[in-house]
Amino acid sequence: MKRTLPLLILAALTIVSALATVQAVMAQDAITKLAPEAFGTLTRPPAVFVHDKHNEKAKLEECVVCHHGGSDGKIDKSASTEGTPCVECHKVKPAGKATNLKRAYHKQCIDCHRAKGKGPLACGQCHKR
Amino acid sequence: MNAAYEFVTGPLAWLAWGIFLLGSAYRLYSMYQLALKKDAPSVSFMDLGFSLRSIFNWLIPFNALGWRKSPVMTVTTFAFHLCLIAVPVFLVAHVTLWTEFFGISYATLPDNVADIMTLVVLAACLVFAGRRLTQKEVAYITTGKDWLALTIVTLPFLTGFLAYHQVFDYQVMIVAHIVAGEIMLAAIPFTRLSHMVFAAFTRAYMGSEFGGVRHARDW
Ligand code: HEC
Ligand code: HEC
Ligand code: HEC
Ligand code: HEC
Ligand code: HEM
Ligand code: HEM
Repeated sequence: MKRTLPLLILAALTIVSALATVQAVMAQDAITKLAPEAFGTLTRPPAVFVHDKHNEKAKLEECVVCHHGGSDGKIDKSASTEGTPCVECHKVKPAGKATNLKRAYHKQCIDCHRAKGKGPLACGQCHKR
Repeated sequence: MNAAYEFVTGPLAWLAWGIFLLGSAYRLYSMYQLALKKDAPSVSFMDLGFSLRSIFNWLIPFNALGWRKSPVMTVTTFAFHLCLIAVPVFLVAHVTLWTEFFGISYATLPDNVADIMTLVVLAACLVFAGRRLTQKEVAYITTGKDWLALTIVTLPFLTGFLAYHQVFDYQVMIVAHIVAGEIMLAAIPFTRLSHMVFAAFTRAYMGSEFGGVRHARDW
């Protein structure tokens, strides 16, 4: 018994640290915050957005709700573009009346929260310090 | 919490802006009627040239005699009013809301600059309060109305600063800030803050009287 206890502790520690490593690696892949490089240095803390957990909690099964398509100034609400960053189509400073990047995020996120009566509306609820 | 936020940024905001704009128009109109009734001659000698001349000269720090008499108050008052107007009008957060609700967007102050200007306003409020407490001749004429006006102005800046830095409970603070801002807007026509509406006319009146009647400068 005297020998097995330290061994058990060692084994437990190994498993815990292995799990922690795996979690760290996974967390690096999954989105938890939005900080697209296109903005340069952010003036606000990056918006909290835990992609998969958010969509599960908000019961959003269809990816196209957020990942829409479109071109030449016309949105295509049926063409799914998941994996394409918003900045591909929404520039920080677009020419003409096109929706800019900040506005695209704000409009998409806040409009839905307003419509559903759930989810953050005020600056600091998303841009958490 | 969403319901509270939506209420204060929706119906309550409309109400506050309505009271501010209509109330100011009403105060100007009724003051004009009063002037006609009580002091008709002064209305007739109002002169655009003399008015603008006086307003312009008083807008330059230390130009008018009144400004040179108390340098600390002059610096404080100019810094205070500049920041007081510029911060809420050009604040990123406020412009973001104009965009969100009406699709309007215009130039903004960088957040860190607005943050410092907010502190300037708060410091100026302390100077004003200190003056009312310590200077005998000011303390003598200070009434509750002066303290009310000063408090109404301080609160939106204090709560806005705390909300921006997310000190204490953010959701409570942001709603408190918006309510404080709306109280200030609605209070402008009906408290000491109405000098915002009347200041230009007070100066114009003095300018016209001094220029057109006494043939003297009023600065
Ligand atoms: C609530 C809106 C929303 C929904 C619903 C949504 N996404 Fe996303 N997704 C985003 C946002 C925002 C980003 C970040 C885009 C960017 O970087 O500009 C993103 C990024 C991604 C990325 C890129 C990930 C990376 O690591 O760069 C993938 C892949 C993706 N989403 C897949 C999906 C799939 C699959 C679904 C449907 C099951 C889905 N999304 C549903 C908002 C959403
Ligand atoms: C394949 C291109 C493409 C991608 C990727 C894309 N959009 Fe768009 N989006 C468009 C086009 C085109 C329009 C319509 C023109 C405009 O408003 O600029 C549009 C319009 C919008 C609008 C205004 C819609 C309205 O109802 O008025 C919002 C908000 C928006 N996009 C948000 C996003 C967000 C957030 C992302 C990333 C999750 C994203 N878009 C990704 C092409 C795209
Ligand atoms: C199509 C609808 C929809 C869109 C688009 C959307 N959300 Fe949400 N979001 C929700 C709903 C619904 C909830 C509330 C979930 C709940 O608490 O039940 C929510 C909750 C949240 C929360 C709180 C999460 C929590 O754990 O309580 C955050 C943060 C958030 N959203 C951020 C965002 C951001 C950032 C975006 C834009 C990139 C976004 N959302 C776009 C529907 C949406
Ligand atoms: C529903 C969540 C949400 C709310 C509420 C929200 N934002 Fe954002 N905001 C975002 C997202 C997502 C982005 C893009 C990614 C990022 O910068 O984090 C963004 C980007 C920005 C940017 C450009 C990037 C930067 O940091 O310079 C600014 C500025 C900004 N928001 C300010 C505000 C202000 C001010 C408010 C309140 C009036 C606000 N936001 C409310 C989600 C939100
Ligand atoms: C209709 C009423 C108002 C609304 C809806 C409103 C909304 C907001 C919002 C959302 C913020 C940002 C908080 C954050 O970043 O998390 C803010 C900040 C601020 N607001 Fe307002 N506001 C209103 C009125 C006012 C008024 C009347 C004033 C002052 C005269 C004011 C002064 C400020 C200041 C000083 C800040 C913080 C700036 C800083 O420290 O960087 N607001 N306001
Ligand atoms: C835009 C036109 C405005 C003009 C021309 C103006 C002018 C003045 C002047 C001349 C003073 C006296 C300074 C002194 O005592 O030396 C003053 C004080 C003050 N003003 Fe204004 N003002 C304006 C707008 C505002 C607004 C919009 C507010 C707030 C809503 C405001 C709040 C104050 C406060 C709190 C004081 C100091 C009161 C004290 O001494 O306790 N002003 N203003």
